[in-house]
Amino acid sequence: MDSAARRLTLPASVESVALFRNFVRSGAVAAEVPADELEKLDLVLEEILVNIARYAYPAGNGAAEVAFAPDGPGKLYVEISDWGNDFNPLDVEPPDFSRGLAERPIGGLGVFLVRSLVSNIAYRREEDRNVLSFGFPGPGE
Amino acid sequence: MNIETEELGKAVLVKVSGRMDAENSHEFEQACEQWITRGTKHVIADLDGLQYVSSMGLRSFLSVAQKLQSDSGSLLLCGLHGLPRQVFELTRLIGLFQVFDTSQQALATL
Repeated sequence: MDSAARRLTLPASVESVALFRNFVRSGAVAAEVPADELEKLDLVLEEILVNIARYAYPAGNGAAEVAFAPDGPGKLYVEISDWGNDFNPLDVEPPDFSRGLAERPIGGLGVFLVRSLVSNIAYRREEDRNVLSFGFPGPGE
Repeated sequence: MNIETEELGKAVLVKVSGRMDAENSHEFEQACEQWITRGTKHVIADLDGLQYVSSMGLRSFLSVAQKLQSDSGSLLLCGLHGLPRQVFELTRLIGLFQVFDTSQQALATL
């Protein structure tokens, strides 16, 4: 990510989601991401950050960093990092859509939503850091 | 998020508005559970004022629906539109719930 990137590091917790959201929203507005895409961006950030709080830091303490940079007209490149357990969210099995209401597992929907709403999502383990990167908005329906 | 409830004879209407996310989705579950423990079989969730729902909110809808269904009841949805509707469609939950335009239409099926 180049030097034009902006970064914010906060405790990886549900309470930090709103601060990260406002931080990235300001960048999305500046990059002229269409206004009707902004709530989808909120959703993507919430899903990823909640997963970090839950799986990267099961003991509850650790930091997350969100960085972004403009990536062409109306587009943003985003990287979300943590220093917790080695966890690749892209390895999470997709939900089993064949199951009815009573048997539908509660969970696994967050990562599926993220993958549906972004473009070029990629995971890498960089020394002691998990890094998830993606472009926003996604390719559209 | 704001939640208002109202008894409608055979069902309880739960009106959810605002943003339903990781911080507050448990409030919807708690509101429904209070009625379920008092014997309510059917809950109609009016989502006309809902602007945003994340997977934590979806978990709450699934959890409430499964509890009601296990006792021969149901969770009916109405007023679903915008991003919440898209989220239900993307996760293919739309096909698991009975979805109506209005609470009156939902109530008429009970």
